[in-house]
Amino acid sequence: MDMAKLNDDEIGNVQGNILRGYTLPAVRHMILRISDSAAARAFLAASVTGGNPNVPQITTEQRIGAKLPKLVTAFNLGFTYQGLVALGLAPGDLASFPTEFIEGMTRRAAKLSDFGDSDPSNWPSPYDQPDHVHVIATAYASDDTTLDSIQKQVEQAFDLRGIHKGYSLPNGAVYFGYKDGLSQPRFLGFHDGAPSRQDPTRTEEPDDPLGTILLGKPTRLPDLKFGTPQPKQLGNLGTFNAFRVLKQDCFGFEDFLTSTAERLRQQGVDTRLVGVESVGLTYPDLKDKPDLALREVIAAQLCGRWREGTPMQLQETLRKATTAGPSNQFDYGDGALCPVGAHIRRNNPRGGEVVQRIANFTRRLVRRGMSYGDTLDLANPDDKERGLLGNFIGASLGAQFEAVMCDWLNLGLHSPEITGSNDPLLGANTPETSWFDLNLWKDDDQVAMEKHRIYGLPRFVTTRGGAYTFLPSLSGIQYLSGLTG
Amino acid sequence: MTPKASWLDSFVDGLPTRGWFQFLSRHVVVPYWVWRDPKPKLPGGPRPSPQPGENLQRMMNLVMPLKDPSPMGRAKAALIVAQNVDEIFAGLDNVGTVHNARFLLLGNNLCMLSVYDGDFSNYIRDFIATIGSVFDAIMDQVEGGEEVSPTEQKIERFIDWVQAHDLFQVPDFPSDLFALQDQAMRRTGKAHGLRSLPREYILQLHANPDVSLGGGYRAYPGVSAAQIRKNHGMGW
Repeated sequence: MDMAKLNDDEIGNVQGNILRGYTLPAVRHMILRISDSAAARAFLAASVTGGNPNVPQITTEQRIGAKLPKLVTAFNLGFTYQGLVALGLAPGDLASFPTEFIEGMTRRAAKLSDFGDSDPSNWPSPYDQPDHVHVIATAYASDDTTLDSIQKQVEQAFDLRGIHKGYSLPNGAVYFGYKDGLSQPRFLGFHDGAPSRQDPTRTEEPDDPLGTILLGKPTRLPDLKFGTPQPKQLGNLGTFNAFRVLKQDCFGFEDFLTSTAERLRQQGVDTRLVGVESVGLTYPDLKDKPDLALREVIAAQLCGRWREGTPMQLQETLRKATTAGPSNQFDYGDGALCPVGAHIRRNNPRGGEVVQRIANFTRRLVRRGMSYGDTLDLANPDDKERGLLGNFIGASLGAQFEAVMCDWLNLGLHSPEITGSNDPLLGANTPETSWFDLNLWKDDDQVAMEKHRIYGLPRFVTTRGGAYTFLPSLSGIQYLSGLTG
Repeated sequence: MTPKASWLDSFVDGLPTRGWFQFLSRHVVVPYWVWRDPKPKLPGGPRPSPQPGENLQRMMNLVMPLKDPSPMGRAKAALIVAQNVDEIFAGLDNVGTVHNARFLLLGNNLCMLSVYDGDFSNYIRDFIATIGSVFDAIMDQVEGGEEVSPTEQKIERFIDWVQAHDLFQVPDFPSDLFALQDQAMRRTGKAHGLRSLPREYILQLHANPDVSLGGGYRAYPGVSAAQIRKNHGMGW
């Protein structure tokens, strides 16, 4: 068997939403405690085999790809370490899981920069009792009524501790206005129906080995192997998920853009050098509105993409905005236009130079998220909570999620130009010490760039809860359903 | 204002200087407290800090007990390090986050001391991905090494092993020990009297005899190895 590929049996064994996402517009995450392990195990058994009208069937990767009627609901399960304990997994098998999963998200808070308002001691129920978070069941559908009925089925077998309702925002955006989810890993040996990336004329990042996302498969570093939890039936083809409830300060972010634009003008920064004049040409809504255009330039530099998705790196010059669209056909070479500290470059430096020379493409994560909270009306500020329900999926929480969070997102260790700073959008910034370097042309010749440092970035995203979960294969869930004790 | 100590406090404070009490402490009081309130061996290495600069120039004090501590066994360990010097230099260069590293033979141990930037797990993982074979050869000489070798195939276990053999770094603010021990024991909200701090240290040093006193002293604020290399035009 070619371990680098997935055969049909394996595709039918992998839970959906891992190798590729659903397109259903509403999600419900159900945070569950196992108080009756026999009832929970019976539910798991029925969810694998299907055919029980009172138990939702787990959606597999095969079901997404099959030429069957379009998927109208999807259902998946993730288990915390405490959940595996509650189901009765043997101590030796529990010990085969990696330390970060055993410890759980709250005990890894310092690594994840979950301090201050993001400290787990400030997380609301159900995350105030992390040992009682056992299972996260996730259902996708087009409407709340369908999700309500799935929730009722789940409540028959589990103690429901809390729910999160999420929705796709128009145009695939998140609350800060950026189009999201544009750069996702795609996998070698697995055809997801999209055009191949192996065309040598394309500059897109390479496909990732399946071991990036599935345990038991080869990784980018062929000799480096992530441990597969035991027994093999449970661990193989499983993966890990960092589920995060991330509150976004939408009004604070817009205010920051406005105040930074004003400050740049007060400092006498020649806005031609960041290309404000061209913004109106390519973004007609901003024509003859230089103040708004400057705000958008700052937003683009903080993220590395314009809010409609076009990467800065695809601009010919800083002086010429572009509407190339949400492309991924770019890399970061010498003289890259995208600021080194911009969100997308910091979290995925692609083939660009990084301090940890072997790390290019080794920390890739699958991100699946939807927004939560009421409709945002920027003209009418309010205090309502809004944010993102994020799933950050990878075969190793330590080598992927935590590695990105602590060394890249919150330290900037991969480039000496940004070391000591945090990610401008997601980072644990404090206004007293935070900074970000905008890229400007040095002069009208547009030959060399220089940096203009801005200060005072607050923390725009606060963690409100979360858990590390294991997403087993269907065989793995079947194994859990057969446990006793 | 600190309240004036009572006669009893003064008496108790003076006890450690009295010979009879030192004898009693060593043979009765400490064993009693070890039995009554045992402390976990706190994990080794630096702890993550909210201040980015504090996460640079961090210390690793890895103490690896030799399987064969005889002069011949020690010579064998020394030979393995010497035979792999080129690989070690290449590894340090490729990992990119190391300021310096050195090996020592100390007591019955082979020690690796290094100064690195960023997260400990990432440092060890990147190092093994670069020169895992060197560490496999070293682990052959070390007690318990076979359980985590080949290191590339057992990377999570190896990282845990290194952390278990990296010296605990006593907090720079002594009272932080309370929180560290409570966290390890999964106890929250427990109030501690400052007078119990010496006892907590004695119990921790009973569980954890070899420690690093503090996380090291920097002569200048934290900067990364890559920042130094860049500023000196050495390439990073």
